[in-house]
Amino acid sequence: MSALIDLVGVTKRYSRGAETLTVLDALQFHVEAKDFVALMGPSGSGKSTILNIVGGLDRPDAGRVEVAGSDLQALSSSELARWRSRHVGFVFQSFNLVPVLTALENVMLPLLLTPLDAKKRREQAAFALDVVGLADRMHHRPRQLSGGQEQRVAIARAIATDPDIVLADEPTGDLDRESATAIMDLLGRLNTELGKTFVVVTHDPMVGERAKRTLRLDKGVLREAGRGSTASVRGPG
Amino acid sequence: MRSTFVLVRRHLQHHWLRSGLTMAALALAMFLLCFVISIVTTLEAAITSAATTRLVVQSAVSLFVNLPISYVTKIVQVSGVDEVTVFQWFGGYFREDEQPFAQFGVDHGHFFSMYAKDLRIIAGPGGLTGPGASEAAIAAMAADRRAAVIGTRLAQEYGWNIGDTVPLTAKIFTKTDRSAWDFNVVGIYEPLKSNVDDRTMWFRFDYLQETMIAEGAPADFGAGAYMVNILPEADPSTVAAAIDRLFENGPQRTKTTTEAAFQAIFVAMLGNVPAFMASLGGAIVFAVMFSVVNTMLMAARQRRGETGILKALGFTDAAVMRLLLVESFVLCLTGGGAGIALAKGIEGPMRDAMGAALPGFAVAWSTLGIAAGVTLLLGLIAGIGPAIGLGRLHPALALRSEG
Repeated sequence: MSALIDLVGVTKRYSRGAETLTVLDALQFHVEAKDFVALMGPSGSGKSTILNIVGGLDRPDAGRVEVAGSDLQALSSSELARWRSRHVGFVFQSFNLVPVLTALENVMLPLLLTPLDAKKRREQAAFALDVVGLADRMHHRPRQLSGGQEQRVAIARAIATDPDIVLADEPTGDLDRESATAIMDLLGRLNTELGKTFVVVTHDPMVGERAKRTLRLDKGVLREAGRGSTASVRGPG
Repeated sequence: MRSTFVLVRRHLQHHWLRSGLTMAALALAMFLLCFVISIVTTLEAAITSAATTRLVVQSAVSLFVNLPISYVTKIVQVSGVDEVTVFQWFGGYFREDEQPFAQFGVDHGHFFSMYAKDLRIIAGPGGLTGPGASEAAIAAMAADRRAAVIGTRLAQEYGWNIGDTVPLTAKIFTKTDRSAWDFNVVGIYEPLKSNVDDRTMWFRFDYLQETMIAEGAPADFGAGAYMVNILPEADPSTVAAAIDRLFENGPQRTKTTTEAAFQAIFVAMLGNVPAFMASLGGAIVFAVMFSVVNTMLMAARQRRGETGILKALGFTDAAVMRLLLVESFVLCLTGGGAGIALAKGIEGPMRDAMGAALPGFAVAWSTLGIAAGVTLLLGLIAGIGPAIGLGRLHPALALRSEG
């Protein structure tokens, strides 16, 4: 059985003027379903680039990207967008909620892309908010919520469509210790209880400790850094 | 679609001051656009609705040079001529601070039958209304040298009624003792055509003529113009040429045109009004276009981060573009629509304000259609560029944007 996330020989370069920077070079990255992987490493090492490629937000310059049974390289821009809406949920460091919408409306946003009617969308969004413990805050705007609550709304939005994978980029980066712990508790629960697969980019050692696997990316090389299952990691050289 | 509209509405509400000011600018611009187009269409309507079977005979020198009264009997004998009436501008005023209205001295025996398709007397002496009113008013006019028929709005504005005496001070035809001219209201008319003013007074020309002769004017005191109705089978240009040939050797040469051509000359005297109004309308549209484009560019710049979120959630480039385009259309249609509705809503008061300067002022449905089209076009122009920009935005880059 193939992995849920399968990156083979992925290379990504960025151009800065005349200079070309190779961030990922022939990277191998495999994640099984229901895994909880933490990607750690110094700033600029390419952690978020991996996340963007896995989530179909960016394309590699070379290599094969197969996620949730789809070859992302073969999909057009609009097909990729539709694929994202079905298979991936995103959680960002700065929450990235739409400030003019309420918590409920923010969670309903990805559901607009599903065939559900308005009533079902509302019910499903309310359920997602209930799962993250914010049923009593569903009509609040983001500015009326604390940082931890905003991130919980973002997590509810990420799981609202019941995606296979949740990709989180520094989900605790803007939070105090207590809120960060609560968020990690929540993500862990979603992983174990709902079976969601998590790939979390982080600098936070606490997040690394709670993941089933921790991978460290440094100078283009991805290494197994701790406990966990099948480490299938190879960077260049 | 409805759910998407919620996001659009929330954005417009969130930036309520910017949205409000842009909508207000659009409302004002579309109101002004409707207004300037309506001036042109009203002038054009005055020309097109003018009778082509009625001729205007005036001095070949100028409209301000009178033609001898003896011309009437000669004109009426021209082949193809049906009826003739004198048509003399009086130029009096009721109270100096009031809005002026037009008064014309006419041949009461012919004028009302000649203008039966243009106006209708709806009230006459003895409280008569309806079909009998016209006959009674014309009979009263024949019996009273000072009789006059006034327009419905004139009656309404000043509260004048049948039997009232209206004193007018003359500016052109002044009496030696500077006393006012008294006119007795014997009838009230309503216009049947848009180019006929409802603030005009028609009175007996012979009252003016005889009074002026008594005041020392020459015995052949004439009129500024003669209106000539021609027979249905007659050719207007042939009859006009025949009339002008009749007076080729004076004492006053004439210039005879159809009423429509006469109206066109009047419009032309104002200058190239359509071109001027088109420039003005164009300037208004351009000015507001920059404002709306600026608003949408600002909205798009603030929406970069949100665009990244939407794309990450699975919204396609086209869906993101559509959101901003819809916002642009909503902004323009709300603001522009308010201006268009206002233009139609206050059409009546605007017509009143225009008075005799532009009788029959109307905001046509076609004008509203043009303004609605311009509003839609503005929505498209303002929204399309920023929308394409957001559509092309790389989702990973957009997520790194502020705002």
